[in-house]
Parts: sequence; C-alpha cells; structure tokens
Amino acid sequence: MIEKKHIPHLLMVFPFMALFAVFFLYPIVSGLIYSFHDWNATTQMRFVGLGNYERIIASRDFKKAMWNLGTYIVITVPLGIAVSFCLALLVDSFKGFWSNFFRSAFFMPVVLPMFLAATIWRWIYTPNIGLLNTIRGWFGLESVQFLNDTSTMLYSLIAVDVWVSAGFNMVIILAGLKNIPKHYYEAARLDGASKLQEVFYVTIPMLYPVLFFVTTYGVISALQVFDTPWLLTGSSFSDYGGRQNALLFPVMDMMGRGFGELKFGQASAYGFLLTAVIVVVTAGMFAFRRKGYDA
Amino acid sequence: MSASLTMIGQRTQAAGWDFSVWTVLKWAVAICLTVVAVFPIVWMVNVVFAEPGVPVSINPRLVPTSFSHGVEKIRMIFTETPYLRAYYVSIAYSLLTIAGVLIVGSMAAFEFALFEFPGKRPMFAVVMLSLMVPSAVTLIPRYLLTADLGWLNTMQGLVVPGLASAFGLFMLIQFMKSIPKEMIEAARLDGASHFQIYLHVALPLSKNALVTLAILTFMQTWGNFIWPLIVAPSPQLYTVGQVVGLFNAPFSHVTVDVVMAANLLAALPPLIFFLLFQRKIVEGIAMSGTKG
Repeated sequence: MIEKKHIPHLLMVFPFMALFAVFFLYPIVSGLIYSFHDWNATTQMRFVGLGNYERIIASRDFKKAMWNLGTYIVITVPLGIAVSFCLALLVDSFKGFWSNFFRSAFFMPVVLPMFLAATIWRWIYTPNIGLLNTIRGWFGLESVQFLNDTSTMLYSLIAVDVWVSAGFNMVIILAGLKNIPKHYYEAARLDGASKLQEVFYVTIPMLYPVLFFVTTYGVISALQVFDTPWLLTGSSFSDYGGRQNALLFPVMDMMGRGFGELKFGQASAYGFLLTAVIVVVTAGMFAFRRKGYDA
Repeated sequence: MSASLTMIGQRTQAAGWDFSVWTVLKWAVAICLTVVAVFPIVWMVNVVFAEPGVPVSINPRLVPTSFSHGVEKIRMIFTETPYLRAYYVSIAYSLLTIAGVLIVGSMAAFEFALFEFPGKRPMFAVVMLSLMVPSAVTLIPRYLLTADLGWLNTMQGLVVPGLASAFGLFMLIQFMKSIPKEMIEAARLDGASHFQIYLHVALPLSKNALVTLAILTFMQTWGNFIWPLIVAPSPQLYTVGQVVGLFNAPFSHVTVDVVMAANLLAALPPLIFFLLFQRKIVEGIAMSGTKG
C-alpha cells in the first residue's frame, strides 16, 4: 500500500507524529492505566479498580475545589466577556492612532506572563502597605487582608483573572466587530435605532459565533485555572489553596496529590475526572448553541 | 452641566473638535481603563526605581523617583542571586522550543496542506482531536514519562515534550493551504527534490505565519510556569518563572522593591517583544480566534 513515491511525504511527517505519539498519545494511555492503580512511583503498582476515582470524589478537598471552581466560573466568564466586549466597543469607537493606542494599552496585561501578573497583584493586595490598601487608607478605610480573608479571596482572584484575560478576548471580539458590514448599522440608524439598540439588535447577534468561541474557550481554560491561585496562595506543594482552602482549585488539588503526597495513581485519575467534566460542559455548550440556532 | 457641554460642543465642532457629552465621557472612560490596565505595570517600575525603605505615606510610588537605586537593585539581583542563570535557562528554553516547534511543525504542515499520502486523514484527525484534550489530563503521565526517560532536570526534558504543538500545526496548515500547487509543480520540473521544495518554496512563502507562530510560542514558553515547576525542580535549571516564585514566596525575607525588580526583569522580554511585534501578536490571536 505504501509506495516508494510516498516515502518522502512520510519522512517529513515522521518527526511531528513521533513526538506527538510519544508525548501525547502514550501519556493518555499510560495515565488511564495509572488511574486504576495505587502507585507512588517507587513501589510496585497495585490494581485498585475505580478506587482512586471513588476516593477523590468522596474527599473533602475535591468538593471544596469543585465548589470554588463553580463559583469562580459563574462569575469570571460572564464578567470577563462583558468587560472585553465593552473594551472592544470602546476601542472600535476611536479611529486611527487612538484606536491603536487604547487597544495596546488594554492588551498590555495579556503580554505579561501569568506568573508575573499574579506576583504583582499579590503585592498590590498586601495588607497595610500594598497599593490597594494605601488607596483605601487615603479614604480612611481600614486595611483589608484581601488574600487571607475567606470572604474576599475568591473575588481578589477573579479581579486578577479578568484583568489578565480581558485584553485577549477584546482582540478576538474586535476582529469580529470589523467583519460586521457597515450598512447593517446604517439600516438600523435609518429605522431610528438608538446606540444601545444597535448594540443589542445588530452587534451582539452578528457577533454570536465569536462570542460563543470566546465563552467556550473561556470556560475550558477557567476549568483548568492553576497559575494565579497557586501564586496568590502558598505557592508550594506543602502549602497551597490558602486559608480554609478558599482558593483551592481542581488542578491544584491534582498537583498536590501527585507531587505533594506522591499519589500518582490518584493524580492521574483526577486528570481524567477533570477531563470528563470539561467534555460534558463543552458538549452542553454546543448543544445549547444548536438549540439557540433552531429557535 | 450637560447643557453647557453641548453648547461648547456646538461651538467647537466648527473647529473640527467634538466635545459632546458622549465623546467626553468616552474619553474619560478610556483613560480610566488605561490607568487600570497599565498602572500595575507602571507601579512595578516605580517601586523598583525608588529609594528603598521610604514609607508609602511619604513616597506613594506614583512616579519613579530614584534611577540609581533601581539600577543598584537590578545589579544586586544579577550578582547575588541565581537570576542571571535563570535568564539563560529561560532564553535557551524559549529559543530551542521555538526552533523545534517551527521545524517539526512546518515539515508536517507542508505535507498535510499540499499532498496526499497514505494515513493522512486519520493522522490529521487525531492531531486535531488533541486540541480538545485539556492539558491537565496529560500533565502527570507526561511528567512520569519524562522521569522514566531520565530527563528530569535536563534541558531536553523541558523542551522536547512540548514540541509537537497541535495548535502550531493547525495554524501553519491553514496558511500553507494557500500556496499555489503550480509553484510546487514548477519547482519539481526544475529538478528540485521534495525537501528542496519545502526549504526553498514553501518556507519562504510562509514567512508571515512562521514569524507569528514564533512570537506566540515565545510568549507561551516564557510564561510557562507549571511544566518547569515539576520537570526541572533543581536550582541548576530554574527558569525565570520559578525564581520569581522564590522571590515571591512568603517568609523569603526579600523586600518589595527587590521582588519587583525581579518581576520587572522577567517582564522585560515579553514587553519588548510586544512593542516590536504588536501587530503580528494581535493578528495572530485574532486569527486563531476567528478561524478556530
């Protein structure tokens, strides 16, 4: 079946496919096997069936992490997209130099590595001497322990994440805005639509595919949030998640089980559980979109 | 207030300026948001370039106040901490990853985009499906595999597992599809070998896509935190991200201004890249978003 003339083609594809098979396909298969075993990387593997999965689901940390994740996603994703949508409209309303200027300014946080954004904000949140508490001080307000008070921790994280990701989504939405034909707006204006009505009856429906992409992508990456909460809390395998685990998230929990407690079987199982959640949520969103189209 | 503003608006519009309430409000909002977006970064610079130990009540660090103290802190970080070494590691890690992703990805994309060969469709389908698999699921087993290979705390352990980038391949395929088949035929008639066609026809024509992918890969590798954290835990191979994490750790007994100096040094390469390649970066992201 493979003829001589195909050999050059296959040789060219080989490096990519070999690396892909070794570092992507093999880990998925081996991970699935690990997930059914009790294993700490040095002793013999012991088959435990679904034991790892059951232990994770029954654990308090898992429930806490999932609860945090749910709250986090429900706030971060809609808020983040609303903010980036408004930023995009704002940038789009300027012309020439100023349009580029504001676009670059709003995009700046995206350029910073995530680990840096987290460390900068950690200091902004510092009690007493941090920037935010200094500003609060000017107004005679008391210093708040943003990252150590369970009532503010989650919101502090959300603020950082919206700050970091708004510019990214803005750029994608801006590209979508440019594709909306100008005469749609003219027609709306002739019909006597206000600016607000234009946004709701022309812009948002026309942007539907882009907004769907941004939402889906946002949900998928939010489900795997790690860097920011890790760096805003203890940032080590012996101390993470913050006070009362108020900033514990599934990927952190997985990493802690793997590298903190050396339970690699459980950690692998955790990865598959999380993937199952991601697949279900994504499939749900696509089903919802189909329904939206039919209606 | 608004009435007087509209009056000013009517008067000044003649001169080509628009001062209606709407416009003034728009500018005010845009400027406030710029402050929110940029100030934390500017503040980082201000903290570095300020005399250390002066309380915020006296110097709130709203502008840089002492150039020499900033330079002194940066010198101190480079000479007294493993920062310089981490810089080398991060640069090597980024450059090797970029080179690998571009070479391996462009070779495969060349074939997938322009030729037919046995196994093409299933291979392509599997790679595209992998775009949907979250990285969380492969992280632990990929780490264990790297450990089995004896690659922990090595440069190849950092670089090689990340080279088969499905996203990069997809992007390059999209771009190479537009290379006219006639050009390839013409080169073949001129006696060029298959590899020469890739090297002298396909690569030069895809320069734009390659540059965009290189920039996006740089940003991603420089900012990669989780993989170096687990694969290269030895101080010999600390990346900039890990060193920043150390500076930032609680009880590290480092003062804010030194931490911020460390942060600033880590932020510089991507910020410079952004200022140089702004358009390419923004277009690359917009492209991956609207076509993906």
